[in-house]
Amino acid sequence: MHILYQIFVDPFVQMGTAPDLLVQTLWDGLVAGVLYALIALGFVLIFKASGVFNFAQGIMVVFAALTLVGLHEHGVPAFLALGLTVVVMFVLAFGVERLVLRPLVNQSEIILFMATFGLTYFLIGLGQLVFGGDPKVMIARDLYLPSGAIEFKRFGGFVSVQKIDVAAVIIASIMVAGLAVFFQRTRIGRALRAVADSHQAALSVGISLEQIWVIVWFAAGIVALTTGIMWGARSEVSFSLQIIALKALPVLILGGFTSIPGAIVGGLIIGIGEKLGEFYWGPLLGGGIESWLAYVIALGFLIFRPQGLFGERLIERI
Amino acid sequence: MRAPSSHEVKLGEPLLAVEEVSLTFGGVRALTGVSFDIRKGEIRAIIGPNGAGKTSMLNVINGFYRPQAGRITFKGEERRAMRPFAAARGGIARTFQNLALFRGMTTLDNIMAGRALKMHSNFFWQLIRHGPALKEEVEHRHRVEEIIDFLEIAALRKIPVGRLPYGLQKRVELGRALAMEPDLLLLDEPMAGMNLEEKEDMSRFILDVNQQYGTTIALIEHDMGVVMDLSDRVVVLEYGRKIADATPNEVKRDKNVIRAYLGEPHGVSV
Amino acid sequence: MPSSDLGLDTLPKLLIHNAATIGGRPAIRHKNLGIWQTWTWEEMLEEICAFSVGMAEIGLKRGDHFAIIGSNRPRLYWAICAGQALGAVPVPIYSDAVAEEMAYVLAHAEVKLAVVEDQEQVDKIVALSERLPQLARVIYDEPRGLKDYDHTRLIAFEDVQRLGRKKLADDPARLRQWEAEVAAGKGSDIGIILYTSGTTGRSKGVMLTYENAIVSARNANAFDRLGANEEVIAYLPMAWIGDHIFSYVQSYAAGYCVSCPETPETVLEDRREIGTTYAFAPPRVYENLLTLTMVQMADASALKRRMFDFFIAFARRWGEKILNGEKVPLAARLVYRLGDVLVYGPLKNRFGLSRIRVAYTAGEAIGPEIFRFYRALGINLKQLYGQTEASVYVTAQPDGEIDAETVGKASPDVEIKIADSGEVLFRSPGVFAGYYKDPEKTAEVRTADGWVHTGDAGFFDPKTGHLKIIDRAKDVGRLNDGTLFAPKYIENKLKFYPNIREAVAIGAGRDFVCVMLNIDMTAVGSWAERNNVVYGSYQELAGHPLVYDMIAKHVDEVNRSLADEEVMAGAQIRRFLVLHKELDPDDGELTRTQKIRRGFIGERYAPLVEALYGGVNAAQISTLVTFEDGHQGTISARVAISDMRPYAARAAKMERAA
Repeated sequence: MHILYQIFVDPFVQMGTAPDLLVQTLWDGLVAGVLYALIALGFVLIFKASGVFNFAQGIMVVFAALTLVGLHEHGVPAFLALGLTVVVMFVLAFGVERLVLRPLVNQSEIILFMATFGLTYFLIGLGQLVFGGDPKVMIARDLYLPSGAIEFKRFGGFVSVQKIDVAAVIIASIMVAGLAVFFQRTRIGRALRAVADSHQAALSVGISLEQIWVIVWFAAGIVALTTGIMWGARSEVSFSLQIIALKALPVLILGGFTSIPGAIVGGLIIGIGEKLGEFYWGPLLGGGIESWLAYVIALGFLIFRPQGLFGERLIERI
Repeated sequence: MRAPSSHEVKLGEPLLAVEEVSLTFGGVRALTGVSFDIRKGEIRAIIGPNGAGKTSMLNVINGFYRPQAGRITFKGEERRAMRPFAAARGGIARTFQNLALFRGMTTLDNIMAGRALKMHSNFFWQLIRHGPALKEEVEHRHRVEEIIDFLEIAALRKIPVGRLPYGLQKRVELGRALAMEPDLLLLDEPMAGMNLEEKEDMSRFILDVNQQYGTTIALIEHDMGVVMDLSDRVVVLEYGRKIADATPNEVKRDKNVIRAYLGEPHGVSV
Repeated sequence: MPSSDLGLDTLPKLLIHNAATIGGRPAIRHKNLGIWQTWTWEEMLEEICAFSVGMAEIGLKRGDHFAIIGSNRPRLYWAICAGQALGAVPVPIYSDAVAEEMAYVLAHAEVKLAVVEDQEQVDKIVALSERLPQLARVIYDEPRGLKDYDHTRLIAFEDVQRLGRKKLADDPARLRQWEAEVAAGKGSDIGIILYTSGTTGRSKGVMLTYENAIVSARNANAFDRLGANEEVIAYLPMAWIGDHIFSYVQSYAAGYCVSCPETPETVLEDRREIGTTYAFAPPRVYENLLTLTMVQMADASALKRRMFDFFIAFARRWGEKILNGEKVPLAARLVYRLGDVLVYGPLKNRFGLSRIRVAYTAGEAIGPEIFRFYRALGINLKQLYGQTEASVYVTAQPDGEIDAETVGKASPDVEIKIADSGEVLFRSPGVFAGYYKDPEKTAEVRTADGWVHTGDAGFFDPKTGHLKIIDRAKDVGRLNDGTLFAPKYIENKLKFYPNIREAVAIGAGRDFVCVMLNIDMTAVGSWAERNNVVYGSYQELAGHPLVYDMIAKHVDEVNRSLADEEVMAGAQIRRFLVLHKELDPDDGELTRTQKIRRGFIGERYAPLVEALYGGVNAAQISTLVTFEDGHQGTISARVAISDMRPYAARAAKMERAA
């Protein structure tokens, strides 16, 4: 009886009595959610257009961040370094298309997936070779990203908001909005949707699959770069950052592997859910909920709605 | 972004010529030394028993397969092995036996996709949907609506094609091919799986496309009645070889063709 | 409305008046290539005038008859008025008529000129041209496919207008001349000849004067307070009196705009886009909409279904009361409002009836369930009863006095009386001028003092004063034991079930009642999918034993309801069968307005009727069918027959118990 009270009543009572803590938790959840969404977005882009689950997305985040910081360390001014990193990501996209996707074009999905494994370790090796294995500091200040915190006396208490987090949410939102408009409105966006739907049909109307793949991997690279900058600014730039990519998996399951809005909504649900769960129900379960709650939620979805909230349910006419 | 042609082909002249084309897949000889041409403005039927290599022939013309031997001349220019999207850009549009539609998109979007090659305006203008991009968008939409009207599928505009019955899906695919304003239209069994009424509708559309738009058409077809009614000339393939190349009436009486289909010297019933 | 007393007694005069007074308002619309094009009254006058002068140029004169054949298109409506302006008489013909029917009407009406929609109609006419020596010109609207046709008799609509505009431009007096022609028209002139699709025999050409139509239209507009702001979709056949009045005469009289849909398949979508305020449809249309919705609901998630069921039940309780303006508790009103947001609103939107002020149904009896359903949603659905010979209106239900079982009170200026035989007669300013070239038939139907025999049997309900129609007068018969047999009455009860599309009851002069049924493909097909019934064709589904079981349940319920009525208890259904093919106007089994042709069906399906009364359990039948282009084929089937057990008459039972 008591346990039921603890699960179903007490947390809400706590939420009600200390609204400032609730808001703080919600905010933290939102920030985490937005960043998860960004990572998931990179996966969705590539999966949607080339049908490949890009295991290397996580390392691309690290690689992009490393390139940026590394260039800066070598004396390149911040924004120029940013521009050069963008170029590097383009070259990477181009290279992946030429050297990985094109030769394997008619192979099964599992083979392509393995290829991204290979790509991952290649990038790890390359990164360590060029930039060294030590963790680095993101050049946040040089990029004019704010630091410090804003503190509100509100909601009957005290809420603290990191400025960098605010910046992260804003930038991520702009990025997502930009991508959405891009997909909907432009010719290239249409072509991307076509390629995602049917390769054969896309070829028949004259869309070059190779061109589209380069564009998509490049876009994923930009997303990776943004993610790298944001995550890196909040903690540090190291190879352990690629673990973050694993968190994208529950997000993708929730939101559907092929949906951009799904990645956003999924990310937010996981992010907020995690933080709320950890803070209010965590003590019941001995803490550490954050590390596995997301996967449990994902498991639930796999059972009841495997295509996710937004995934495509292909309507087959028999 | 059309591939430049060395000279404009006149009506009645060969638009596409296939010379001594051979195609092998790991031991299987799909095509052996096939030669024929397709004249501008005509409807050319490619027929033959199952396994004769008809779809392979279309795939070679279209760029999906690269022949081991032989030449293909299109619009006066000899092409090396061309990739499908390049064939599309060169003015060849194609429908498929098993349909290649964008199943998640509506009828309208599918046909609009056929205009992809003709959209030229600048990326930036497109983003803000203004100026020359808007004007172009409206023009494309107008052309697509004309095709929708022509094929009588106005009621299906906003329905995702995955939900349409087979016969209508085929019509949408035809619409998408038409949206490309091709010089050469390749139709792979456009009537497959249709009932009599649907076949009559499709035949009417194909004829109208040829007569109204002047589009050259090559079609693979099994229904002899359709072949007789629609085509100007017929190529007959059997086991990857050409066994006849003449007008429908001549082909109907050709002994080799009769033997290929029936194995006995009887008339081909139509 | 001012138009009534300004001597505007013909349609062209109304047109000119509208162009002068409300010239900038929309008069007619058409959706083409995905966008709506609108013409104002002024613009429409110009188009019609140009076409009219053009038609005169190619030889149309006062008193000539010209045909209109096609689906609802602005140009065809313009053609009607353009011809009327010259004093010629339009003869619209059903566009899905087979060549034979068309030939008959064109010849009988001595049509000199035809305005048709497209290649399909042109082909039909060209095929008949030897039989129509008097048909001099054929004008077509849609040029597709006609480029290479012989144009000695054919001419494009645009070219006729071009001729007209040129003449108007070259000759300054021509316009004045044209206006004078219009002014020369009188209300007593014949404005139109409409051929009724008779349920027996050949169609008859009903001649209506301008006065017939315009007075009826004005009265109707006043009855429902229709003004210039109404939005109407024109989708019913132009050859049918209903469309002529609703989409043409009433529009000209009130000044409201009529919208022509893109294709017949897009009508629902187009209706939604326009947001019609005034609608008319035969009961079948409302039934189909409902069936479609129920079918889709059956496939929806449990939550949606629960919500739907709850709110619909709620609406059935309170909806009609709210619509009728009765007193309803506040709490109920609030829940209804919530239901409006969640269920009724989206439903009405799906039907395209969100902005409906008045929706009429007529032509056939409508299932009371269906009727109440729409009213419960807040749609002001009403019944009216009418005929071509009446310029539509005989009775109509006034707002607030709505009942599923009646057809309403006499329309304004209409007198009704019931003959001894039970037949309904009426007299009104809308009564037709006569049947073209058929004075005998005219005298049969219309008495010397202007009363018209409707051919329907009915009576006035003592409680409400509304008219109730039982059946076609000549169809009301008796069984061998003297029991009253009103086949329509029984058929309607059966057709109220969504699964049953059509029913034919047989019993006059027989020992008991039998019925032949058509299943509704949509409803039963969906039921079949849900119940794992496999079928490959309509015929297979119709003959399936499980379908028979399901239908038997419906028949049983009808029997029970018949048993409740003293007069009808003896007419319960003893045996039934499900037909292997749908009854079709193209095969002559139904009229163009979907009414069953009893005599013809009795002949054609004689083997089945014999089997029904012969006590056997199945029968073999071969039927000849006609395809739309005229060629024929046969369908054979072995049809099963089911027996039913009738209920003891309730009333009689109670008597004995007492």
